[in-house]
Amino acid sequence: MASGVLVVVETSAGDIRESSLELIGPARSLAGDGGVTALVIGSGVDAAAADVAGRGVDRVLTVDNEALSHYTTDGYTAAIEAAIGQVDPALVLLAGTTSGRDLGPYLAARTDSVCLTDCTTVRWDGSTLVGTRPVYQGKMLTDVSTTPSGVAFAVLRGGANPVAVAGQGSADVEALNVDLGDSLRVKVVDVAVPPAGDSSLDSAETVVVGGRGMGSAEGFAMLEELAAALDGAVGATRAVTDLGWRPHSEQIGQTGKVVRPKLYIGVGVSGAVQHTVGMQGAETIVAINRDKDAPLFKLAAIGVVGDLNEIVPALTQEIKAARGK
Amino acid sequence: MKILVPVKQVPDPNAIRFDASGTFASSTPRVVNEYDQYAIEEAIRLKESGAATEVVVMTVGPASARDAVNRGLAMGADRGLLVVATDSDLEAADVASIISAEARDGGYDLVLVGQETSDGGSGVVGPQVAAKLGVPIVSNVVSLEVGDGKLSLGREVEDGRVTVESPLPVVVCALTGLNDPRSPSLKGIMAARKKPVQETPIASYETNGADVSWGKLYAEERVVEGTIIETDAESAARQVVELLREKKLV
Repeated sequence: MASGVLVVVETSAGDIRESSLELIGPARSLAGDGGVTALVIGSGVDAAAADVAGRGVDRVLTVDNEALSHYTTDGYTAAIEAAIGQVDPALVLLAGTTSGRDLGPYLAARTDSVCLTDCTTVRWDGSTLVGTRPVYQGKMLTDVSTTPSGVAFAVLRGGANPVAVAGQGSADVEALNVDLGDSLRVKVVDVAVPPAGDSSLDSAETVVVGGRGMGSAEGFAMLEELAAALDGAVGATRAVTDLGWRPHSEQIGQTGKVVRPKLYIGVGVSGAVQHTVGMQGAETIVAINRDKDAPLFKLAAIGVVGDLNEIVPALTQEIKAARGK
Repeated sequence: MKILVPVKQVPDPNAIRFDASGTFASSTPRVVNEYDQYAIEEAIRLKESGAATEVVVMTVGPASARDAVNRGLAMGADRGLLVVATDSDLEAADVASIISAEARDGGYDLVLVGQETSDGGSGVVGPQVAAKLGVPIVSNVVSLEVGDGKLSLGREVEDGRVTVESPLPVVVCALTGLNDPRSPSLKGIMAARKKPVQETPIASYETNGADVSWGKLYAEERVVEGTIIETDAESAARQVVELLREKKLV
């Protein structure tokens, strides 16, 4: 009888992807009487496995293989299916990374099983699995539900749950031998890590982010001034880096950085899910937008509706005065 | 190389407004899902460069979704397929089954699909089509080059830009940034009228019925009790700084 939860822990260059650690808390409450098993996948994952073992799981499995040093759907699929065979879980949880969003639906379709994607929370209601997820680019929520006949999959949106803390027991770590042979059809030929750029973005206590609403690359000059007044860093949405207004190193969201500053100021940022996964951990969120229906206002402690071209310079002035600059 | 481009017609994300009951006006304009336009454009460019022999645009949706197929034809696709369904028929796994059946029977080498849609937005169709076809999936693609019997694909992921090589057939999910989708020209729109569009009822495909059911839409409760300021810029700036000062952020 399938029971418990298998948590998939992604690694990159041996480092755990943080959103994988957000799965352990939800796994604990979903596992009921069954256990929580973490599966650490990658190349050279001993340290990562030891770390996960101390974060409140019952068991850790590793699939450690040089061919898994970079994500491929085939490689991760082989590892996860081997672990499912070993553990027989009722549910597999994946993080809402670019990889996890591929794997959940892919694995489910391979076995005619079901997958709930992009959920902020997942719960069992008897034998029905219910997930809450944002739809219409985060403008609305809905509850999706399914009654699985075999193992079910759920992908949890990054940033929606706290990272499991360390120092919680020490589970046994067990290596799982998976023969990948030449089963990896897609080959990784190059990984270009973007130049660090203004690396202060990761550690800045204040982050000022511009969205497509800035209108042009030149429009960011006023954000740089605002950020300087606050000793903060400038970030951007994907739309902005796509347009080439700012470098990829400044992108915050699904395909960029995840930041957790004390103060986040979003200017001309609508707040689509692809962006908010990278910033919703911010302590205080300020939104400036002319569209009062912009989803970012729902996350904001302070929202200003109006023309950013007037508000931002006024705000910069006011902050400089307040800080005696 | 024969290319299938599955597209979806969605309510215009820039025009959609929800009322308190979680519904939006039926008059909300419909558009081709943004990511899908990048997929169509890339396929047409492959045809223009001689790498592709045929580009077929397909949709599963209500009869009115023909407009989405027509837009693809006006951009330059060769022919269209419309699988007619009512909205309630549409569950992502079913759509994936239909697309994969078409891709298999039609002998396509490349299924080029948008990364996700702006309505449901779960991005499951690409991976599920690949799984059902038994072919590789490469998602978040921002560059595509054709090699000898394979594709070289640039992916934009958390770590930066990853370049991969995949054999054909393959399912590729297009991200914004892949290209700059064209607007259909008047000539293209005229030419599209003469291009064949095959209509098939959804009943001719095998689907499993809804595995995942959707509840009502509802608005997110405010995560924080926020203050909304709607006044002139100077007063707004003063109020913001006052509030930030209370939080010791200035």
